[in-house]
Amino acid sequence: MATSLNADEIAGALATLDIHDYGDVLQCMRCGSCLPHCPTYRTDGIETQSPRGRVAMIKAVIDRRLQASEEFVEHMYHCLDCRNCQTVCPAGVKVGELVLEARHRIEEHTPQPLLKRFMLGSAIRDQKRLSRYLTPLRAYQLTGLQKVVRRSHILKWISSDLEFMEALLPTLPSRPLAETIPDVIPAVGKEKGRIGFFLGCAMNLVFAEVSRDTIAVLTRSGYTVVVPKGQQCCGTPNIAEGERKVYREMAEHNVALFEDRDVDAIVCDCAACGMELKAYRETLAPVHRVAHRAEAFSAKIRDVSEFLVAALGPEITFGTIAEKVCFHDPCHLRHGQKLVTPQRELLRRIPGVVFSDIPDEGQCCGSAGIYNITHRGRAMRILEAKVEAIDKTAADRVVTSNPGCFLQLDYARKHWNREWSLSHISQLLRSSLERGETMQ
Amino acid sequence: MTSSLARKLEELVGRGKVFSSDSELLCYSYDATPLVSHRPEAVVRVTSEQDIAAVLELAAQEGLPVTPRGSGTGLSGGSVPVKGGIVLLTTAMNRIIEIDADDLSVTVEPGVITADLHAAVEELGLFYPPDPGSMKISTIGGNVAENAGGLRGLKYGITGDYLLSLDLFLIDGSKVHYGTKCVKDVAGYNLTKFLAGSEGTIGFFSKIVLKLIPKPRTKKTFLALYDDILDAARTVSALIARRIIPSTLELMDSVTINCVEDHVHIGLPRDVAALLLIETDGHPEVVKEEAAGIEAACTASRVRTLRIAKDAKESEELFTARRNALTSLARVKPTTILEDVTVPRPRIPEMMETIREAAAKFSLRIGTFGHAGDGNLHPTCLTDERDRDEIHRVEQAYDMIFQRAISLGGTISGEHGTGITKSKYLPQLVGPKAIEVMKRIKAAFDPEGRLNPGKIFPEPME
Repeated sequence: MATSLNADEIAGALATLDIHDYGDVLQCMRCGSCLPHCPTYRTDGIETQSPRGRVAMIKAVIDRRLQASEEFVEHMYHCLDCRNCQTVCPAGVKVGELVLEARHRIEEHTPQPLLKRFMLGSAIRDQKRLSRYLTPLRAYQLTGLQKVVRRSHILKWISSDLEFMEALLPTLPSRPLAETIPDVIPAVGKEKGRIGFFLGCAMNLVFAEVSRDTIAVLTRSGYTVVVPKGQQCCGTPNIAEGERKVYREMAEHNVALFEDRDVDAIVCDCAACGMELKAYRETLAPVHRVAHRAEAFSAKIRDVSEFLVAALGPEITFGTIAEKVCFHDPCHLRHGQKLVTPQRELLRRIPGVVFSDIPDEGQCCGSAGIYNITHRGRAMRILEAKVEAIDKTAADRVVTSNPGCFLQLDYARKHWNREWSLSHISQLLRSSLERGETMQ
Repeated sequence: MTSSLARKLEELVGRGKVFSSDSELLCYSYDATPLVSHRPEAVVRVTSEQDIAAVLELAAQEGLPVTPRGSGTGLSGGSVPVKGGIVLLTTAMNRIIEIDADDLSVTVEPGVITADLHAAVEELGLFYPPDPGSMKISTIGGNVAENAGGLRGLKYGITGDYLLSLDLFLIDGSKVHYGTKCVKDVAGYNLTKFLAGSEGTIGFFSKIVLKLIPKPRTKKTFLALYDDILDAARTVSALIARRIIPSTLELMDSVTINCVEDHVHIGLPRDVAALLLIETDGHPEVVKEEAAGIEAACTASRVRTLRIAKDAKESEELFTARRNALTSLARVKPTTILEDVTVPRPRIPEMMETIREAAAKFSLRIGTFGHAGDGNLHPTCLTDERDRDEIHRVEQAYDMIFQRAISLGGTISGEHGTGITKSKYLPQLVGPKAIEVMKRIKAAFDPEGRLNPGKIFPEPME
């Protein structure tokens, strides 16, 4: 967040939104269709917490009818970037993306705190380095210190935020996935093709076993999986915080990295990464030397469900999992990538699975990157509503496909003592395929 | 930054219910009406009748205007605080107090969302028919204030037809109760019905009782495509001649159809001149009989293609075009201005002709869709608010359209209300004497003219 503001410069910077973006601002009819779908409007019930309000504020700053004050900046950061408004807007206004544009212009004209500069500019860039920073946390868990801390609630004495963050913390794998898997993993059986795998930071460092499952399902479906070493962060945290320079460098690096490998598609099992990688075609479009290549790169990106729904052919036998299952759509899958049916179709193909939809038309779980830490009170209310909606399905298992959602829902499960279990879709698919193989 | 007004309001209703920062005032300066906005001095989200009374009493002491507001989806500027003052939000008063299944009524607070009410009563096999386009967002309070209609208006009537009783706060903070749960109630002047469509200028609703009916058992949906818009209009007359009142009878013109096809690609032929979406509902035997009548009426009116939905899913598909009408029009240009002229059903062809003439004369793109079954049309101008010349031509075109609607025996507003945008046409429609009577009624309730000022009555020239 900004430390000191130059309101005039920010207003000027916002006014340089190009014709397309400004057209978007004008295109808003203020009809209010976004209101019932916006998680922050649902929790707070006031217009400033709505997409319609955010567009109105941006427009007013551009037209110099509203000062680009601290309050304006705060409002720009209240948005979860869930993109639900973009799914429902009749006029096609991309409110979520407009808010990110506003953040970018604010950040460009505001001195940034050192820690943020370090995180976005350096820490996340290199997964090896990022992994080293996690060493103390691994030690904390390995030595049993975590158990002691959790039992004693000692962190609550320091800060409730800190205790919350500790509670979110999953058990970290001893080594990141990138360090333990080969560069090329051959297809099981006859090779149908070669695909790349984009290993997101959270998947690599925290959910290594889940991505191992993803790769196992991909190879079982007949594809050789290429995981190029030296992948950098997709850039989602940078975009979310309005940072674009390091973002572009990382994006260009990732484009080049996969270009050298002859792959038909690039699969990703993190919804947030998937959305961002697909957006390279737009975010890198202004960079002349890479624009075309970014277009080709983005065209190859597939979410894991999107890819598997076609790749898992009739020759594959799914084993029975007799459970009532619901799918929590990560916002960056459902609203960001407009993918709703592939994940459902896959789950319905598992014999024994009784699928039901969570009756909230794809509401956010409140994780939203680091929103659950920066705006914890509201994030918890959003999570509470999510859990209530999940309860209505009476599901035995909640399935999702994004690490942030996974952590958030896992916290909810423990915090409110829910009976349901939680899986990434790759975990469920792998266990179904393995059961299918033993049946044969 | 809290103004002294906001501080006083906070003392009365408590913190967290009063909004007065720059951004907050900006975000309550508009509703869904294009080109009108004005900031209030404070916004209060009331949660109880005590809050309402307290705010109104303070406003009376300070001589401030008060503008009621629900979700702010109005299309005539009804909730825009054009004279500043206090915006009174109903959205936090959103309880469904009672569903009386034995007496077929429902009691709600004004902030209940229309679609939430539908869901709650339909679960019990009951039905609240009014379905304005914004029903997923709009509040019942707003629906009553604007006497909102919707797709089912021709068969089932509009909001006011379901209004049984109201609790109302007058501008001085006193509370009045009108009506009973009884369908038959002729005691005294019927102020309940009068309040439907009063556009927030008479009082502030705190409790609303609505009539319910049994939910229709089944329905059948048709999509009819025409080479000539007159054939579509003839179908409407043919249906009425056969004594069939469909539950939905919606029209879309070629401009709208092409915009829909541009944006949703549902396979509508580009050269079609008009389409009708027709639905009949009720007892299965009745639906069967009416469906045969609808088919015959369409065939007799030279329909090009008639698609009949086999089941609920296909019926949903047929609604796609109509549901996407405004959506698709709204994507063409930055500013979308939509009106709701209404004419007697046999005059629809003439009205459509005038709309087409107006578009040609003032070089505008106007798409028309609407509720052909009740004569309520939505000529929609696709424009750009930055283009002052074009906006001027839009005004001229609507002048022409409104004049024509009046001369055809129709009205300037079928369901959006007079508000700010149409007040200048009202005297022409009703005449000076009626305006004077309306003003006297308004003065009886609100002598100082502080409740939702600037609406319905044209401003005197300064």
